[in-house]
Amino acid sequence: MAEIIVKTREESLFEEQGYNDHFHDHHHGDKFKSGFLNHYVFSMDHKVIARQFLITGIIWAIIGASMSIVFRLQLGFPEESLAWLKPILGKWIVVDAEGVGKLSPEFYYALVTMHGTIIVFFVLTAGLSGTFSNLLIPLQVGARDMASPFLNMLSYWFFFMAGVVMFYSLFLSTGPFSGGWVAYPPLSALPQASAGSGTGMTLWLISLTLFVVSVLLGGINYITTVLNLRTKGMSMWRLPLPIWAFFVTAILGLLSFPVLASGFFMLIFDRSLGTSFYLSDIFIGGQALDRVGGSPILYQHLFWFLGHPEVYIIILPAMGIVSEVLSVNSRKPIFGYRAMVYSIMAIGFLSFIVWAHHMFMAGVNPFISNFFVVFTLIIAVPSAVKVFNWITTLYGGSIRLNSANLFAIGFVSMFISGGLTGIFLGNSAIDIQMHDTYFVVAHFHIVMGVAAFFGMFAGVYHWFPKMYQRFMNETLGKIHFWGTLILAYAIFWPMHYLGMAGVPRRYYSFDTFDAFKHFAEMNKFITVAAILSFVVQLIFVVNFFYSIWRGRKMTSKNPYNAATLEWTTPIEPVHGNWPGNIPAVHRWAYDYNKDEREFVPQYEPLKEGEVGDH
Amino acid sequence: MTIIGALVIFTLIAVIVVQIGRVNDLAAKIRGEEEVMRSGNDATGRWLVVFMVVFLVGCVYSSWHYKDVMLGYGPWEASSEHGKEVDYLFNMTLVFTGIVFVITHILLFWYAYKYRIQQGKKATFFAHDTKLELIWTAIPAVVMAFLVANGLVVWNNVMPDLGPDDAYLEIEATGYQFAWDIRYPGKDGKIGDKDFRLINMANNTLGINFNDPAAMDDAILSGSDVIKLPVDSTIRVKISAKDVLHNFYLPHFRVKMDAVPGMPTYFIFKPTKTTVQMRQELSEYPEWNEPYDPTDPEGPKRWQKFDYELACAELCGKGHYSMRRVLEIVSKEEYDAWAATLPSFYKGNIRGTEADPFRDKLLMDYEIQDRKAELDATVDPLWSKLGSAVRDSSITEESLILKLKYVFFETGSSNLDKLSSHELDYIAGLMKKHPHIRLEVAGHTDNTGDAAANRSLSQSRADSVKASLVAQGIAASRLASNGYGDTKPVESNDAEEGRAKNRRTELKVIK
Amino acid sequence: MEATAFRKEEGSKRLNPQLFALWVGMASMVMLFGAFTSAYIVKQGAGNWLQFSLPFSFYISTLTIIASSFTLHLGYNAFKSLQSDKYKTMLLVSTMLAFVFMVLQYQGWMEMYANGVDMRANVGGSFFYLITGAHAAHVLGGITVLLVTCIYAFTLPMKFSEVRRNKIEMVLHFWHFLGALWIYLFVFLNVIR
Repeated sequence: MAEIIVKTREESLFEEQGYNDHFHDHHHGDKFKSGFLNHYVFSMDHKVIARQFLITGIIWAIIGASMSIVFRLQLGFPEESLAWLKPILGKWIVVDAEGVGKLSPEFYYALVTMHGTIIVFFVLTAGLSGTFSNLLIPLQVGARDMASPFLNMLSYWFFFMAGVVMFYSLFLSTGPFSGGWVAYPPLSALPQASAGSGTGMTLWLISLTLFVVSVLLGGINYITTVLNLRTKGMSMWRLPLPIWAFFVTAILGLLSFPVLASGFFMLIFDRSLGTSFYLSDIFIGGQALDRVGGSPILYQHLFWFLGHPEVYIIILPAMGIVSEVLSVNSRKPIFGYRAMVYSIMAIGFLSFIVWAHHMFMAGVNPFISNFFVVFTLIIAVPSAVKVFNWITTLYGGSIRLNSANLFAIGFVSMFISGGLTGIFLGNSAIDIQMHDTYFVVAHFHIVMGVAAFFGMFAGVYHWFPKMYQRFMNETLGKIHFWGTLILAYAIFWPMHYLGMAGVPRRYYSFDTFDAFKHFAEMNKFITVAAILSFVVQLIFVVNFFYSIWRGRKMTSKNPYNAATLEWTTPIEPVHGNWPGNIPAVHRWAYDYNKDEREFVPQYEPLKEGEVGDH
Repeated sequence: MTIIGALVIFTLIAVIVVQIGRVNDLAAKIRGEEEVMRSGNDATGRWLVVFMVVFLVGCVYSSWHYKDVMLGYGPWEASSEHGKEVDYLFNMTLVFTGIVFVITHILLFWYAYKYRIQQGKKATFFAHDTKLELIWTAIPAVVMAFLVANGLVVWNNVMPDLGPDDAYLEIEATGYQFAWDIRYPGKDGKIGDKDFRLINMANNTLGINFNDPAAMDDAILSGSDVIKLPVDSTIRVKISAKDVLHNFYLPHFRVKMDAVPGMPTYFIFKPTKTTVQMRQELSEYPEWNEPYDPTDPEGPKRWQKFDYELACAELCGKGHYSMRRVLEIVSKEEYDAWAATLPSFYKGNIRGTEADPFRDKLLMDYEIQDRKAELDATVDPLWSKLGSAVRDSSITEESLILKLKYVFFETGSSNLDKLSSHELDYIAGLMKKHPHIRLEVAGHTDNTGDAAANRSLSQSRADSVKASLVAQGIAASRLASNGYGDTKPVESNDAEEGRAKNRRTELKVIK
Repeated sequence: MEATAFRKEEGSKRLNPQLFALWVGMASMVMLFGAFTSAYIVKQGAGNWLQFSLPFSFYISTLTIIASSFTLHLGYNAFKSLQSDKYKTMLLVSTMLAFVFMVLQYQGWMEMYANGVDMRANVGGSFFYLITGAHAAHVLGGITVLLVTCIYAFTLPMKFSEVRRNKIEMVLHFWHFLGALWIYLFVFLNVIR
């Protein structure tokens, strides 16, 4: 009897209609399979690189979050002794005659600075964009890998090196940099102004310059792959929303990070070569400095030209992930796909012309600030549209409330809460009072420190099977969700009241001022919530690592019945993603519950008279 | 040891967590995946609704609980004119955002529950609706436009600088690691120039440029002095920094502006509540009636000890959180009286020191004016009193002596420097005003050099002074002139300070 | 491995994804120099600015880099038409001109320094060295790539392939970019004083 080979419909379609790029003619006996180093360490496979970014991001998140626990202990329990931390933190804990230990103020500021730097750059930029752009772009556009896998590999390793340098700076005797993650000169330019502005700052600059290189290399790949390597039939308007988000994010990064680099180069010149780009009229350490003609405001312009797009670089990928997760788990198309794409573009474009809303009180000509107010409040409109579209995606759905989807829904809640306070801050007159208070701290933590993380969690839970061929545990995921949702609001909601009361940010202690010292109970509450929240995150970490080896195995290629291409690759991933031809695409990515069919994958050809695009 | 303990505990917790996770998997195997999923889904949906209710109620409750930090409400009213507008904008925004917050959260969580998986129900293929999109694009756009318009009206009223025709009081605040120096303008109402290259930590820490006449009468508060300002007056704070970025922040007044080294900034505001008035208003709130010092329950209450405070609001180094100064808002009269007593920094600390650019100038214009005012204040009334027949027993021997201040002789001679005419002519005028006054001109020296020579020099110098007064039209019979040499020192001649004091010419009222 | 782009019709002119990626990378470099030149304009408007004219060496170096683009382009055409000797010659000439460019830049800096344009004394001077220095750093990268290309040209047997043509095209585009960037900076520094 001849063997009957049964092909699935999917396999047949790919064979007949797929795009044959002769990939496998070149790559049998693949050199990629050789050597531990090439396979696991210096891999040029985008799926491996994605996991490298993710694990590194998780490690940095633990470090950054631990720092926040230490400084929150000081803020919440200033009377309690931290002497028990002395074995670990050594001279940074100052113990007085009665044995009560406090953080030294320099160390407090170093922790706050490092926390911000680590979370914003290493976790929410590299860990979020790096992971999901790398994982999903080739898979969802239908490409074998990125346009330049070699540059992609370099992108990860530059990030790794940036991390090594930053990590090393934590152990300097003069301490890591401590002038705030924004690093404004003259504080950051003058070692006499602060111990951390010595070697600590030098290493901070080196680390972030390496980081900029990493982002640029990654961005070049993402943009090129999306524009040039889409499979047959994958027009731009058929791309799943995460790809649009990662694509616009990469453009933002490409255009804004070099400006940050230029600001850093000038700061390096001022620090090491005696120039006066940012310095003028300074008397410090008993002497007048020989620097005239510079302006600290110039640095702020250059920094925030990156700084503002940066926060959209953080939130857009999370938004893209959330759109996908909500849609797949509601069994409905994302509502208003085109509007969602246009709003991503609008947010991307507008993000370049609002930067000076971080500088309303910097001494900038107030007339100029008018324009920044207008554009800042305009950017609320596409953001609002997205929120309404997400909610409408849930409407009329058949919703599966798994961990990924819960985090996606939680993202929407957090984005609403955090985004709305942005409207207060963007109005310059209100910012007179709110600038540099806890109101700002509440705002950006809710949108970045929570919402963006929720997007990241949604993505991790959802695509974990794609990365590790197993599922994360659902029960633990739900505990993680509920714990984080409740505790995150517990931490950051009260900060609005602190800010309204005028309490400034970056204060080591509130005891000096009558106006600020009556919130001891609230600060205790926030600290306790932060500690509990940290413990809950550890549940996620345990779940993540345990599931890599012992999670429930993936038994079908497309466990969620999703329409996008990443679920058409074999369970065990291969280089080049598809063992045969790359699937060709005939429709957009969101045909769920359309015309009697529960879902229609993108590779399914159109029926007579069917509309495949929206 | 602690570390090992922590690791053990962490591992145990990890194991427990993993077991919890596996419970659900086991349940799924037993009861069937589908059913477990469905009931879990229903439960989760219900909890989402519970969360929504608890969350929204919690938000409203906490706002009510913290109403006393709501801007413009209760004790947290702004103490400045523009501050009220800032508070109003905040609350206007709160209304709009609050409505959106509540509605979107209700819909979000309600839909997540209502449209959860249900037996036999399919999702609806509802992909887009252009009209709906346009509506919910237009409405936020309109609301934003409204908020922007209102906000920019306030912004453009508050922020632009004053013009030369505007009346205001200007003070200067200079931030440095880690305190504020406050400078008042003196009678001329102008803050003098400064330059960081002139900074001298010993006597001119602000680097004031005393070549600028406006700087002569500026007063610098000491570190612990309270900053007093008049209520209902326009104040312009000139803000600068010496070393790194700082920020001048008055929370009660809604005043905030970065202090930038190399680029002076400013903020203009009008205080509307005096400190006393504010304390009175605060006394009506229960939390302000708590004792100020929790360890002293019988002591003063919080409202009694209330003060307006100045803080720094831009990270400036390790002492950023400690840059406190107290402000006091007082009535215009009280302010004027207090400001008049502020000593000129130049006159008190600089004049005659090595930091004085005019140390080679013997007599400054203001010194002439001040001396005339001094003579008017002391000598004039005294001489009037001496003219009356009634004997005033409070007049002491000492008070009859007027020591000449700005009368200069060339070294070793009795020739009067031209500058001396300012004081001598003025005294001549006073003598004319009080014709009954007769004066002895007494010359004194220190004990350096020959006693006879000192005697002779002091005599001839006294004669010069007498001659100068006579030349102004005073009858010679009204003036005696005597040289006492070093016989009548007023202080020990051991130190130069004492010797300088002994070298003097005095005018004493005689019968 | 190179991923190949999907094209609707076989044989139609393919846009090499790596070349596209290079252009995207060059866009980021444009942003870097855009930031420098914007900061330059802002600082200049603020006053306290040293006016200077560019050294004579820079005029020569501008001509040099233009010439090197020209010769490199000839080399590229030679490669496409399999003229091995001409290809190698033009490549060598271009590389040498690139070195000459760097030497002239260095000389220009020495001239400026001798004329009193110091890095520290005035912001105008600081910007001059910063901007021309940043460009020179990128030219070093370009020279490295040219050297590698030279090595391959002289050690590998001459053979046409799309892969090789793509690579040489990328070198060419990057080199033209550095030249165009220099022209922009040169004109900018001359005009905005």
